[in-house]
Amino acid sequence: MGIARYVGGRLLFLVPQIIGIILVGFLLIKAVPGDPATLMLGPMATPESIAKLRGELGLDKPIPVQFFIYIDKLVHGDFGTSWQTTQPVLEDLKIRFPATLELVTYGLLTALLIGIPLGIVSAMRQRGFLGRLGDFYGLVAGALPDFWLALILIYVFYSLLSWVPSPIGRIDVMLVPPATITGFYTIDSLLEGDWTAFWSSVQHLILPVLTLGLINAGPILKMTQSTMERMLQADFCQYERLCGLPEELVMRHALRNSFPSVITIVSVLYGFLIGGAVLVEIVFSWGGAGQYAVQGVLNSDFNPVLGFVIFSALFSLVVYLIVDLIYLAIDPRIRH
Amino acid sequence: MFVMAKPEICNEEGPRASKPPVIEVENLKVAYHVYGVAPLQALNGVSFGIGSGEILGLVGESGAGKTTLARAIMQVIPAPGKIEGGKITFMGTDLTAMKPEELAKRRGRDLAMIVANPRGELNPLLPIGKQIALVAQVHLGISRDRAMNMALEMLKAVAIPDPERRMRAYPHELSGGMAQRVVIGISLVCSPKFVISDDATSGLDVTVQAQILSLLRKLVKEQHTSMLYITRDIGVAANFCDRVAIIYRGEIVEEAPTAEFFANPIHPYGNLLLAAFAHDPTLRERWSASAPTDPEMTTPAVCLYADRCVRRRERCLRDHPELRNIAPKRQVRCHFPVER
Repeated sequence: MGIARYVGGRLLFLVPQIIGIILVGFLLIKAVPGDPATLMLGPMATPESIAKLRGELGLDKPIPVQFFIYIDKLVHGDFGTSWQTTQPVLEDLKIRFPATLELVTYGLLTALLIGIPLGIVSAMRQRGFLGRLGDFYGLVAGALPDFWLALILIYVFYSLLSWVPSPIGRIDVMLVPPATITGFYTIDSLLEGDWTAFWSSVQHLILPVLTLGLINAGPILKMTQSTMERMLQADFCQYERLCGLPEELVMRHALRNSFPSVITIVSVLYGFLIGGAVLVEIVFSWGGAGQYAVQGVLNSDFNPVLGFVIFSALFSLVVYLIVDLIYLAIDPRIRH
Repeated sequence: MFVMAKPEICNEEGPRASKPPVIEVENLKVAYHVYGVAPLQALNGVSFGIGSGEILGLVGESGAGKTTLARAIMQVIPAPGKIEGGKITFMGTDLTAMKPEELAKRRGRDLAMIVANPRGELNPLLPIGKQIALVAQVHLGISRDRAMNMALEMLKAVAIPDPERRMRAYPHELSGGMAQRVVIGISLVCSPKFVISDDATSGLDVTVQAQILSLLRKLVKEQHTSMLYITRDIGVAANFCDRVAIIYRGEIVEEAPTAEFFANPIHPYGNLLLAAFAHDPTLRERWSASAPTDPEMTTPAVCLYADRCVRRRERCLRDHPELRNIAPKRQVRCHFPVER
C-alpha cells in the first residue's frame, strides 16, 4: 500500500509537469516565425482572406488567450487539426505514435541484447580481445550517424542481397494493415491471426530496428562496462572473493549492483529516441511520430507538433515512473 | 632462526609443543612495484607461527605492513603488490604455491578474514542472513535451507538481538557494531581453522569494541580457531591476545607472550609503543624523544628503526639486526635490547 500511495502521488504530480511542458512547448512554437494561414492559403491568397482565416484559427488573439483555448480543447480530448493531413491530430498520433514506439522498442531491445552482454564481458576481460572489441565498438557506435548506417544496411541487404523487402513503410503496400488494437503491427497482426501481415511487418522492421539497435548499443555498452568495472573492484566484491565465493557469483552480484545505472541510460534513450529516431524514420519512410512532428515544424503546422510534444512527454514521464519503481524493487536502500 | 610458538594461555590439554602450528609464515617478502620508482618493500622477511587455538596479536603503526601481511596470507594482495619470497604453510600446504581455484575453496572455509569497515564490505543488495548463508552454502555444499539455519545460528552466536528479524535486514539498516558482528558471523560460519582480524574493531565505540572482543575470544576459543589479531591498539592486544608480535616497517621487531611483553618490553620501539599508552609523562618523554644526533645518520641506516631510536649507536647504522632469541619464547630484533 506504500507503493500504491507512492505511485498515486507520482501520477498526480504528472498533471503540473505536463501543463508546464505544454506551456513551454506552446511558447517556443509561437516564437518560431511563420504564419500557418499564409501557408494554408498559398501564394495567391488576398490579405483579407488571410486575416479571415487567422480569425477563424484564433491566431489574432493574444498568446495567453490562445494558450487557454488550447488547454480547454485539450481537456475535452481535442488536440486540434493538422492542416496538412486535414485529420484530427489525435487520430494521426494514434497511428503514428505506436509506429514510432514499435520501432524504438524493438530497436532498444536489440541494443540491450548487444550492449549488455558485450559490456559485461569487456568489463571482465579488460585487456583481452573482447575487452578491446567492447572499447572499439563503443567508439564506433558513438561516431556513426544512424541514417548513414541505415543507408548502408539498405544497400547491402536490399539492393545487393535482396534479403529484405523494399524499405518503404511498415508493411507491404499490397497488404491491409491489421486493425489498430495496440498500434504495434507485429502484435495486432498476431492478435488477428494474420500471419502474412505479421511476417511482412517483421521483415520491414528488421533493418530500421537493426540500425537503432547497433547504434544505441554503444552507450548501453559503455555504461554497462564502466559500472561493472567499478562494481567488480568495489569493496563488497573484493570481500566476497575474500570469502571464497566463486567468481561467477561475485559477477552476478556486481551485475545486480550495476543495474540501476544501466536502467537509467536505457530510460533516457527510450524517451530520447521517440523524437531522435526521426532520421531513421525518414530513411525507411516509416510514417512515425517523429516524421509527423518534423513535417509540422517545417510547415508551421502547430497542432501536430504540440500533440507530439505532449505524447512524448507523457511517455517519458511514465517511463521514468516505471524506472523509479524498478529502482525501488532492486535497491532496498531507497525504500523508506 | 625462529622458535615455534607454543600456545600458552589456552592449553587446557597441557603443552602441545609437538604439534605443528596451524599456520606458519616463513621469511615472507612482499613489495609494491610502481613503474619508475624503487619498489616499496612492504614486508621484509616476516616469520611467525600460530598454534591451534592461539591468538597472536600483531601490533604496529600505520604503514608497518599489517594489512599487507593479512592480504598476503589470504593471497589477495592489491594490484602492484607481489609476494617476492617466503612460504606460508597452512595446515601442511604452502598457500603461495596453490592454484587460484584451490585457494578460493579454502578461503572463507579454512581460513577467513574479518575486515574493518564492515558496512562497506557487505553487499548492499542482499539481506545479511543470505550473505552469511551463501558462504556456508558454497563452502560446505549444503542445502539453502540448512545454510539459512546455520546463518540464523551464527547471528545468535554473535549476539545480534532479534536474529530472526535481522536475517532479512540489509547492511544499510545495521549499526557499525551490528555489521561488525555480521562480518564476524560470515568469517566463522564454516568454523575455519584460522582467522585473521584486520583492525576489525578499531572503528567502533570502546564499549561495543569490548563486547565484540569478548564475544570473538569466546567463539575462537570454543572452536579452537587460531587467530592473527592485527591492531594499532596495543591496549587491546594486552587483553585479547596470547602472544604479541610488534611489526615495524615490514619487520617483526619483537615477539613475546603477552604477559611478558607488557611486563618487560625489550625492543626500543616496543617500549615506545607502551610508553605512548602509559600515564607516566616522564616515561613517555624518555621513549618518544627524538633520536640522538651523536652517531650522525649518513647512509640509510641498516636497522630500520635507527632513525627514530633514542638508543641508537654506531653499530645500528652498519649492521642489520636479526630477530634473535634472548629468552625462552622471546625474540627481539635489536643490537642493544633494553635490559632492566
